Amino acid sequence: MHSLGIAFDLLFGSPIILFSIVGLIWGIIGGSLPGISASITMALLLPFTYGMAPVQAIVMLACTYIGAEYGGSIPAILIRTPGTNSAAATVIDGYEMKKQGRAGEALGISLWSGVIGSLFGLLMLIMLTEPLSWVALAFRPTSYFALGILGLSVIASMTNGSLLKGLAAAVVGLMISTIGTDPISGVTRFTFGSPELLGGVEPVLIMIGIFAVSELMMQSGSRDIGGLREQVKVRLPSLSMMNRLKRSQFIGCLLGTFEGLTPGGGGSIAAFLSYNEAKRWSKEPEKFGKGSEEGVAAPETANNTVASTALIPLLSFGIPSSNSTAVLLGGLLIHGLLPGPRLFEQNADVVVGLYLGSFIATLAQIVVGILLLPVCVWLVNRPRAYLAGFILALILSGIYTLNTSLADLGIALGMGLVGYLMRRAGYPFLPLILGVVLGHMVESSYRRSLLLSGGDHSIFLEDPIAIGLLLASAVFVTLSLVREFRDARNAKLKDAHA
Amino acid sequence: MRHPAIVTAVAASLSAWLASGVSAQTPIDYPHKVVTLVTHSSPGGGSDVFLREMAKHLPKYIKATFVIENVQGGSGARAVSRLATAPADGSVFYATTPTYIYTSLLSKTQHGYKDVEPLVNFFTDSEVIYTRTDGPYKTLKDVIDKAQTSRGRWGAANPASLERQAAEQLKKAANVTPAVVSHEGGGDLMINVLNGTLDIGIGEIPELRPQLEAGKIRLLATFDAKRMEAFPNVPTVKESGYAIALDKFRGLAGPKGMPPAITKIWDEAVPKILADPDYQKVYRTESLVANFIPHDRYQGFVQNFGTVTEAFLRENGVLK
Repeated sequence: MHSLGIAFDLLFGSPIILFSIVGLIWGIIGGSLPGISASITMALLLPFTYGMAPVQAIVMLACTYIGAEYGGSIPAILIRTPGTNSAAATVIDGYEMKKQGRAGEALGISLWSGVIGSLFGLLMLIMLTEPLSWVALAFRPTSYFALGILGLSVIASMTNGSLLKGLAAAVVGLMISTIGTDPISGVTRFTFGSPELLGGVEPVLIMIGIFAVSELMMQSGSRDIGGLREQVKVRLPSLSMMNRLKRSQFIGCLLGTFEGLTPGGGGSIAAFLSYNEAKRWSKEPEKFGKGSEEGVAAPETANNTVASTALIPLLSFGIPSSNSTAVLLGGLLIHGLLPGPRLFEQNADVVVGLYLGSFIATLAQIVVGILLLPVCVWLVNRPRAYLAGFILALILSGIYTLNTSLADLGIALGMGLVGYLMRRAGYPFLPLILGVVLGHMVESSYRRSLLLSGGDHSIFLEDPIAIGLLLASAVFVTLSLVREFRDARNAKLKDAHA
Repeated sequence: MRHPAIVTAVAASLSAWLASGVSAQTPIDYPHKVVTLVTHSSPGGGSDVFLREMAKHLPKYIKATFVIENVQGGSGARAVSRLATAPADGSVFYATTPTYIYTSLLSKTQHGYKDVEPLVNFFTDSEVIYTRTDGPYKTLKDVIDKAQTSRGRWGAANPASLERQAAEQLKKAANVTPAVVSHEGGGDLMINVLNGTLDIGIGEIPELRPQLEAGKIRLLATFDAKRMEAFPNVPTVKESGYAIALDKFRGLAGPKGMPPAITKIWDEAVPKILADPDYQKVYRTESLVANFIPHDRYQGFVQNFGTVTEAFLRENGVLK
């Protein structure tokens, strides 16, 4: 009852609605600009929150996170460039739908799935934050290793026909992840003496380079087809479509919750995993990659779920599980709020305000998302040359604001070239991204585990979480390989008949 | 009273402290209207918060406006370059922590820690050894005993850090060979101490505070030279019989060749700022220990820290 009283006070006594909606709007616009990730959008806002009351600042930052996760899907669908890292999986089917003239439908599905994901995530946040904080505790280095392997096992089903090319791309990704300070001994590796590389290559640079920069290079190499001529209007899914999306959204909710809870996960891994699982469990897996509605719904549900559930380890332990929550942690600390069990007793107003603000933002998302779309579409609808120049300038300045480092610009542009060559030679680049994102986690937790056991591999068998995750990976890899060989054989049979 | 001499010394320093507090009403004139304080940390990061709090209280004692400039990237190398190329007239300073020494040693930076001049030191961050409350260890001795009979599991936040250095030093001093496992920062380390993967972790009070207040973490010892004010029952590592003390320093550095008139102003002003009751309230809640080191001694202190760190990195194969 006490918290209900606080909620009423916040709702009517202070302009919390205002802060949550402003945060949402800023998030959608920031998220829809390619190269400006959710964490950059939030970081840009951070200095402005210094003068606000703590609850206002935290609500605004959290709602920016929610908005950015939807905003990221807009350019992913319209121009094949994810606005945020976690919208990378949305590109696959979202852009296919756009090519088929179903951009509005794809955006509607993304918006609807975002709302579902946010609501589910919020429910989880409210229910689980206090009791479920032990999940983070139960994860040992052995469990993290197994989690990383599970993530990498996705590669087997991402290769689109050429397992060898997929594995080659993954190895390049894993190699990139070894740059920087050795996670165990502290020896510097492949930094060539440069202090800029001491902390390793940030995955965001690789993603921006591979996705956005190489896309701009591809576009500049083809004739201008006149941009996006058709009017795009958000078309929310019909009841029967909503029904069809349920399965993939449910998968997105589950994986989003899981990834949000475990540090090191984050929206992009959740989005890829749920895309993959949605395909595995779909009634029409053959539509994936060719404009499947479920292929948009699953990752967009997952990344919005993460935007809420990532707050669980943050609030209960003070552990940020993603870049965005790390920015939010900065916001909490600036206002003298210490996350942890005591936060719920001493700053109940902030916690309740955060729940309330997120709820308002989630509901407002449908209206604001539709109203803001013309602004975002107008931006995307400029003639291609202007748009490409504008996006490149945005990408470069966005990267520069990250660390104000010129070396980061060089890395992103270099990765753009790598991405261009990979596209030309027909290499899939999703395995490369996964290698970069997961390589460090797999390597460091593997070596940490062996250091703990004195070199004895049986330590992985003493951890039930690790056993479960490793078995799951083995099953996934086997199933994907069986499917791959069956498809190849079927194709051969068809050729023989023809 | 067994030691009247100590009592008189304490009384004398107390009265000196009170006197300095009284004379603090008029700020000292400064040759610059605006002074830039550079940090390598992002807004909201450790050194950034340190500077922003300090900038609020400095104008009471030095007549100038203090602005913070965040020069991120390159693990501090860019901020040090920004400082090394700035005019040595007291208008630009940089917030020093052991980070800039590690970065100078681990990579070929354009400007290293030897290219800038330490100004004065303000604080020491308390480094502590901690374990989970429901674990089997009640004292540091229990931990060492376990490491003698079976494989000890100790944790440090990062591979090239003062915490790991502390763990290696303790290992040597106690003549045991536990695994020293480094992590992805303090939060990651704390989880592995809480879930029993590790016997102990070495870290700082602020990152432990939520679990400390919830009663989930027990402090076993501190690497500070003296016992911590906020935790008087926690012994120092030295008391426990191992001659190790760490200084995770926080101070300011300027470009090389600052005029003595400038350094003199800071030497005078900083003890007063540290005695300011409003400021004390702020930094004590952050568990910072006031540790003023004047300009003439601070240079030697930082050089010595650099030499010791370099030797440690070589000994452990991090540097060749």
